[in-house]
Amino acid sequence: MATKEAEEVYEKKVLDRVSDAFVDALANLFDKIRPGWKVRNQARVDEWKLMFYAFNRSPIGIAGAVLVAIFIIIAIIGPWIAPFSYGTSLALCNQTAYLAHPGTVVKIPKGCEALGVKPGTYRLILGGDSFGRDLFSRILYGARTSFVVMILVLLVGPWIGVALGLISGYYGGAVDETIMRITDMFLVFPGLILAIAFSAVLPSRISIFLKDHPWVGSFFLHLFALHPTERGALASLVSVIIALWIVWWPGYARLVRGMVLSEKENTYVEAARALGVSTTSILFRHILPNILGPILVYLSLDSGGVILTEAGLSFLGVGAVPPIADWGRIIYDGSQYFPSAWWLVFFPGLAILLTVLGFNLLGDTLRDILDPRTRRSIEFRLKKKPKTKEEGEEK
Amino acid sequence: MNSKELINYMKSTFGEPMVEVVDLKKYFPVKGVFRTIGYVRAVDGVSFIVPKGKTLGLVGESGCGKTTTGRLILRLIEPTSGHVYFDGKDIFKLKGKKLLEFRRKAQMVFQDPYMSLDPRMTVFDIIMEPIRAHKIKVEDPQKFVVNLLYEVGLNETHLYRYPHEFSGGQRQRIAVARVLALEPEFIVLDEPTSALDVSVQAQILNMLKDLQAKRGLTYLFISHDLGVVRYMSDYIAVMYLGKIVEMGPAEEVFEKPLHPYTKMLFASMPVPDPFEAKKKPKVEVIGEPPSPINPPPGCRFHPRCQYAMDICRKKEPPLVMAEKGHFVACWLYAKK
Amino acid sequence: MRCKDPIIVVKDLYVNFYTYAGVVKAINGVSFEICRGETYCLVGETGCGKSVTSRALTRLIKSPGRIEKGEIYFYPEPGKKIDIMKLSDEEIRKIRGYDIAYIFQDPSASLDPLYTIGYHVAETMAFHGVVQSIKEGIKKAAQVLRLAKMPDPESRVRAFPHELSGGMKQRAVIGMSLANRPKLLIADEPTTALDVTIQAQIMNFLKELKEKENLTLLLITHNMGLVAEMCDTVAVMYAGEIVEEAPVEELFKNPLHPYTRGLMRAVPKHVGKNVTLESIPGTVPNLIFPPPGCRFHPRCPYRFDPCDKKRPPLIEIEKNHKVACWLYAKEGGKR
Repeated sequence: MATKEAEEVYEKKVLDRVSDAFVDALANLFDKIRPGWKVRNQARVDEWKLMFYAFNRSPIGIAGAVLVAIFIIIAIIGPWIAPFSYGTSLALCNQTAYLAHPGTVVKIPKGCEALGVKPGTYRLILGGDSFGRDLFSRILYGARTSFVVMILVLLVGPWIGVALGLISGYYGGAVDETIMRITDMFLVFPGLILAIAFSAVLPSRISIFLKDHPWVGSFFLHLFALHPTERGALASLVSVIIALWIVWWPGYARLVRGMVLSEKENTYVEAARALGVSTTSILFRHILPNILGPILVYLSLDSGGVILTEAGLSFLGVGAVPPIADWGRIIYDGSQYFPSAWWLVFFPGLAILLTVLGFNLLGDTLRDILDPRTRRSIEFRLKKKPKTKEEGEEK
Repeated sequence: MNSKELINYMKSTFGEPMVEVVDLKKYFPVKGVFRTIGYVRAVDGVSFIVPKGKTLGLVGESGCGKTTTGRLILRLIEPTSGHVYFDGKDIFKLKGKKLLEFRRKAQMVFQDPYMSLDPRMTVFDIIMEPIRAHKIKVEDPQKFVVNLLYEVGLNETHLYRYPHEFSGGQRQRIAVARVLALEPEFIVLDEPTSALDVSVQAQILNMLKDLQAKRGLTYLFISHDLGVVRYMSDYIAVMYLGKIVEMGPAEEVFEKPLHPYTKMLFASMPVPDPFEAKKKPKVEVIGEPPSPINPPPGCRFHPRCQYAMDICRKKEPPLVMAEKGHFVACWLYAKK
Repeated sequence: MRCKDPIIVVKDLYVNFYTYAGVVKAINGVSFEICRGETYCLVGETGCGKSVTSRALTRLIKSPGRIEKGEIYFYPEPGKKIDIMKLSDEEIRKIRGYDIAYIFQDPSASLDPLYTIGYHVAETMAFHGVVQSIKEGIKKAAQVLRLAKMPDPESRVRAFPHELSGGMKQRAVIGMSLANRPKLLIADEPTTALDVTIQAQIMNFLKELKEKENLTLLLITHNMGLVAEMCDTVAVMYAGEIVEEAPVEELFKNPLHPYTRGLMRAVPKHVGKNVTLESIPGTVPNLIFPPPGCRFHPRCPYRFDPCDKKRPPLIEIEKNHKVACWLYAKEGGKR
């Protein structure tokens, strides 16, 4: 039904066709994994398509998605496309790249291979820093650091909160009281200070752990695209991740508890209980799917938050240790030469700004789209335009 | 007459009970900032039976405790005190497997079909959910669900749709199909048609009647709509502020109401017929229902009753048999 | 013309709602008139357009809805004609709440929880210049509430909405709408959210009020019982159209339209003998794609040739008894 209406109402744009193809491909994939899925979930597929139509008609959302996509692509391929490694000091190749202005051209002579640099002429697009390193390369590497920290934090921290919120909201009573008071304790401390405290305490233990389990260290080295020589600096990076887990759950516990409280008042939860459905089933089959939308929105908004916090921590000297490339660290190092070497602060700052902005724009749009009430208004608002003029012109 | 005697009287006149409710009470605490400051006496000592294979209509205005009673009978909430016997077993003592067994036999259809179905499940999943929960083996789930859909007047094209694609009446049919999947013996129908339009209401009511005849179901029909209750019920019980004020065979209570509240309720209900409406007895409606947190002493209806006597203000009237099978809680009919 | 002295005349009203799924043709050519001093009922099921019609009378249709066409004339006094469709927004606001007042289903939605009942009453009076200031209005509010039969009106003036029961809130709302002595009171399901005993009180009070104040009442309801007890003239609506209009006793004695008949047989009564209810098969149509011809034909047991092609006109069969059905129209043959 939904597709029929959608086709009649919307004049499809190129983006809509792309998103349609994407959704169809996804549906076919599911159908292959579980035969019959497509027939049973046709309505859901149509709903997804409709969500994409709404998204495609939100310029802000598309802008956000583009920014986020650029960030993710850079984070993944950045270390490969960077002309130099994050730690390479061009000064060692007899090139004076100390605080080089953006656009400075350097000539790398033969005999620098030991540093991992091929001979040739390079333009330092964004200039060089006080150690003679290429800022552009460091920013590309820094994207990887931020991205990995963000993913690892969001994969765990919020879900601790979601689980506690579900339990707390559904059972209520003493369980609720206990969990919520603990949550309050965490919430009254400013997150950044708590994270600093934890990242100061944790590294010694983590380095012992990493020594005992070298493969974990190697895994992280690859993840962060670091040289094996940086093995010793891993402990502080990992401790930042763990510190952020610890400070990142209370907000979610609060949020989810509130949503569970309102969701469990719905009759269908009581109806499920009357049918003899077990509590776990009710929590995971009924309540969680129904509150997943807002959680996803928060995750998206929080992605920017994690990046910002992580940058803040390294700016304060916690976490990424030199020479690891990290946006916050780059700004800290560059701030000593501000404003004469403005580019050392400006470009990494811009990178943080655009990334966080991208996640926020995306999150805001997702909120509008995942909420059925506002989605209708978006769809309505954007539908009317092609109906009157553009349709006639195109035909 | 104590509640045991009362139940025995009821058994002898109404027939063998499916459900026996004895002295059931449910007080909800009213929380202040620091402590409980009072109790809402939602259900305050009710005793009645639901005869096997029959329909008992439970009537009353909002806040009289009829829905709470329905939820207590299915043990969706725990009582403050009292007992409910289902097939002779006290349901509040059931545990584990026995409780699951009870949940299979006793079911509920809720008032709002827009809220009682999970919006993220297809009709197939909704109807299969109880089957999965009870780990019942079904050979061909699709065929099983389609058969149930046919029984409630839907068909296989509806199988993989979501609740929001259906009208209120169709959703209520889905809710009934879900309940029937477990082949229950007893169903609490909590205002199943009050969210529906009249033309659709008639469809659902007739379907429920047919199902009862075909499957030998026992219904507890909770409603505030007297017309609907009269159409559906064999026996009715009228509730006011957590108490049963009158109970008896439906025809008799409707034709000859005894309790002043019942009379007032019947007179307030508009009659869909201008000629009958003129013949209807005029009873003046006095005041509004008092708060169930602080119910009036004595008979709870006395502040609104035109026959209120001295005793009504002091002592609570017991539920007594005024005529054969017709019970009423009013000092006009009880021995002082 | 049914009325010698109509208070409001509606001709050929069309209202559409532009929703995300398509254009909902909510009101499709509705014409009626209400005589001064009578109680006129619009009865029908959810989504039949009865509420929308009542709101369209003072152009109270919010986006995405729009009055497509139609004429609405309001006669505040006999012979004085106001063309509602031609008024500016400012002018219509002066009529709304002054000459034409509304009571809606949910009284709490009409009351701001931050202000006292007295303030609410005073505000409507002050807006229309009945009193000079809110202060003066609050002084007069008790008087108005007494008119609405609010028990202990002096102390209720200072009460906040949440301190009142549903029935009392509705009385307060009625008090607000009566504050300016309107000529036409539009009550949109005024008692649907209330208990029957409270409903009876409020309906009796509205009846008394009508006689005392020479008020015209437009009652919107889905409850056939209220129709039978309250109304003088009834219009039955189905899917955005009036299918039958008649004086109440005539309508119940001799319903003509198959939908009206079905509706009457579907309502269970609590007095007299109950026969098996007859239901109308099917469901209310989707008004984005309404059925062609007569909008009731897919559910009609008597449908025949012209029903699915041409829309039946609303014609007068007997005195004041109008019906829109091909069974009674000339082109469809006689029956």
